[in-house]
Amino acid sequence: MSTSRATMIEFDNVHKYYGDYHALRGISARINGGEFFSLLGPSGCGKTTLLRTIAGFEDISSGAVMIDGRHMENVPANKRPTNMVFQSYAIFPHLSVAENVGFGLRRDPRSRAEKARAVEEALEMVGLKGYGARAAHALSGGQRQRVALARALILKPKVLLLDEPLSALDRKIREQMQVELIKLQREVGITFVLVTHDQEEALVMSDRIAVMFEGEIAQLADPETLYRRPNSRRVAEFIGVMNFLPCQVTGEAGGHIQLEVAGLGQVEIEPAQAPGVTRGGPASVGMRPETLTILYEGQQAGGREAPGVVEEVVYYGDMTYYDVRLDGLDHSVRISMRNVFGRPVLDIGTRTRVAWSPGALVLFR
Amino acid sequence: MKIPFLRLYAMAYLLFLYAPILLLPLFAFNDATVISFPLKGFTTQWFAQMAENEALRKATLNSLLIATSSAVMATALGMFVARAATRFRFPGKGGVVGFIMLPLVLPEIIVSVSLLVVLLQLGVSLSAFTVILGHVLICTPYAAAILNTSFGALDRSLEEAAYDLGETKFSTFRLITLPLVMPGIISSLLISFTISLDEFIIAFFLAGAEPTLPTYIFSQLRFPKGIPMIMALGTVLVAMSVLLLTIAEYFRRRGVARTGIKDTGGFL
Ligand SMILES: Nc1ncnc2c1ncn2[C@@H]1O[C@H](COP(=O)(O)OP(=O)(O)OP(=O)(O)O)[C@@H](O)[C@H]1O
Ligand SMILES: [Mg+2]
Repeated sequence: MSTSRATMIEFDNVHKYYGDYHALRGISARINGGEFFSLLGPSGCGKTTLLRTIAGFEDISSGAVMIDGRHMENVPANKRPTNMVFQSYAIFPHLSVAENVGFGLRRDPRSRAEKARAVEEALEMVGLKGYGARAAHALSGGQRQRVALARALILKPKVLLLDEPLSALDRKIREQMQVELIKLQREVGITFVLVTHDQEEALVMSDRIAVMFEGEIAQLADPETLYRRPNSRRVAEFIGVMNFLPCQVTGEAGGHIQLEVAGLGQVEIEPAQAPGVTRGGPASVGMRPETLTILYEGQQAGGREAPGVVEEVVYYGDMTYYDVRLDGLDHSVRISMRNVFGRPVLDIGTRTRVAWSPGALVLFR
Repeated sequence: MKIPFLRLYAMAYLLFLYAPILLLPLFAFNDATVISFPLKGFTTQWFAQMAENEALRKATLNSLLIATSSAVMATALGMFVARAATRFRFPGKGGVVGFIMLPLVLPEIIVSVSLLVVLLQLGVSLSAFTVILGHVLICTPYAAAILNTSFGALDRSLEEAAYDLGETKFSTFRLITLPLVMPGIISSLLISFTISLDEFIIAFFLAGAEPTLPTYIFSQLRFPKGIPMIMALGTVLVAMSVLLLTIAEYFRRRGVARTGIKDTGGFL
């Protein structure tokens, strides 16, 4: 629930060099107030570097970073309206939990008792009520994470920066913390900027996501757009699974783009399904596994269908993944099917028909 | 039967290493002026004699002054080295750090003679101060090595977190860095103190008319009558060294436990 839609953070053509290494290559983007924003990308793409330019730990080589309308050029990290949750959590090992959480209040003019109450409230917010007197170095990973959160949020920053805060936790706690972080963000209404290399985590948690490769933002969109309409093969491959089929762009008519797709034949798609393509010629189309359906005996496709042979079956209990080779294709496509009671799982080698819909295709150069 | 070679070897090794030191207290309490077996009887007169000796007291005071000053200065310099080496990148860093560490392997006699030449050329008169200069030179690499470990083990994001939470660079150092490297600082002070206290060659060359404990002991070895007292003095020094190193190790271990860093064995 965003409290304000105004721009909170603005990057204007930000470049960053480490010596000769060009780590950020012209980043321009806006992050809205009250938004849960994620920076997603493979290792070394510059996510942490970009996050640290917001925090003020990294000087930029050119361009501008604005926070809440203010130029940050000469504002050091300790004067910025941002706080950070570090990947290692950076819990001060020689202080107690309460001293850690209250660390940022040292310069606060409030009375001792009021500060203690603020610390207790912050601990309660992250589910660590009554942990104040504990030694910080004796906490578990999940607890450290919560202390780091409470410590950063106690100053009521305009922006909370999180650098892979969940990557050190094991799967179960990580999934639990994802939900808690979303709730917390809605509760406090502060802009969260999260760095992650886990696409699933980004999709689950974010209002909007910037996908980064090699110091550039490849696509900035909400999770659904990113998943359904990735603007390049690279983004499509990074987020989830996508099948690619070679095709030819044969023409345009009545506002539609006409394609000749291997294994599927003649197809017409909307221009919105071709975010990055302008000219005709060779290209490829992408299809998510769940947009394809295996047709059983006697079932009719609502739209179009293509014949093929089952080459591989992976059974997951609730889901089954099939690799099906469509006639006229030299590689198989992945299809995910929800398992329904009473419906058999197909065997390898079965001939089958696959239903697909032109509306689910994405065209890539 | 299998002969436990390794165990025998280890035992022989320790025996050769420590047996001579065990002789010190033995003869320090022996009621005879000649250092030889069989032992005669128990006495504390050598310790009493030691306590009354004016020249010895002066040498002790000299040594304490020199060792304390050297330890403080070497540790302060070591902190600069460690911080530069672990936190900053600059051209020629490897070379600079290498040169700071070099006195570890330079023969002390070379260091002493060259220092002597330089000091005499500069017209500086020899005193406890010149010994301190020499000792700082040889203690700094040890201090730097110990503090490098402490500063290196310190997670950089701890300092960034404090800065991020509104502290200044200086208050971050005081509130976070200093307490966390304190065990290293204490170890460094104690090690440097110990090294300076029993250093002979530099003290011998640079002390001028002011003897330190080691140079005093050396000068007394010419008089056979004084030797039992030297034994007593040696006993006290060994006891003090063991005590200091134990304290140093205690602080190092406490630092390891407190910051949750994995123990890599340390310097003892
Ligand atoms: N202080 C530095 N000096 C030199 N190069 C650096 C420095 N910090 C980062 N880099 C380089 O900049 C690039 C981007 O680093 P960054 O830490 O932002 O990546 P990241 O996307 O956060 O990756 P990861 O997922 O591995 O944390 C990397 O290639 C890295 O080697
Ligand atoms: Mg990173």
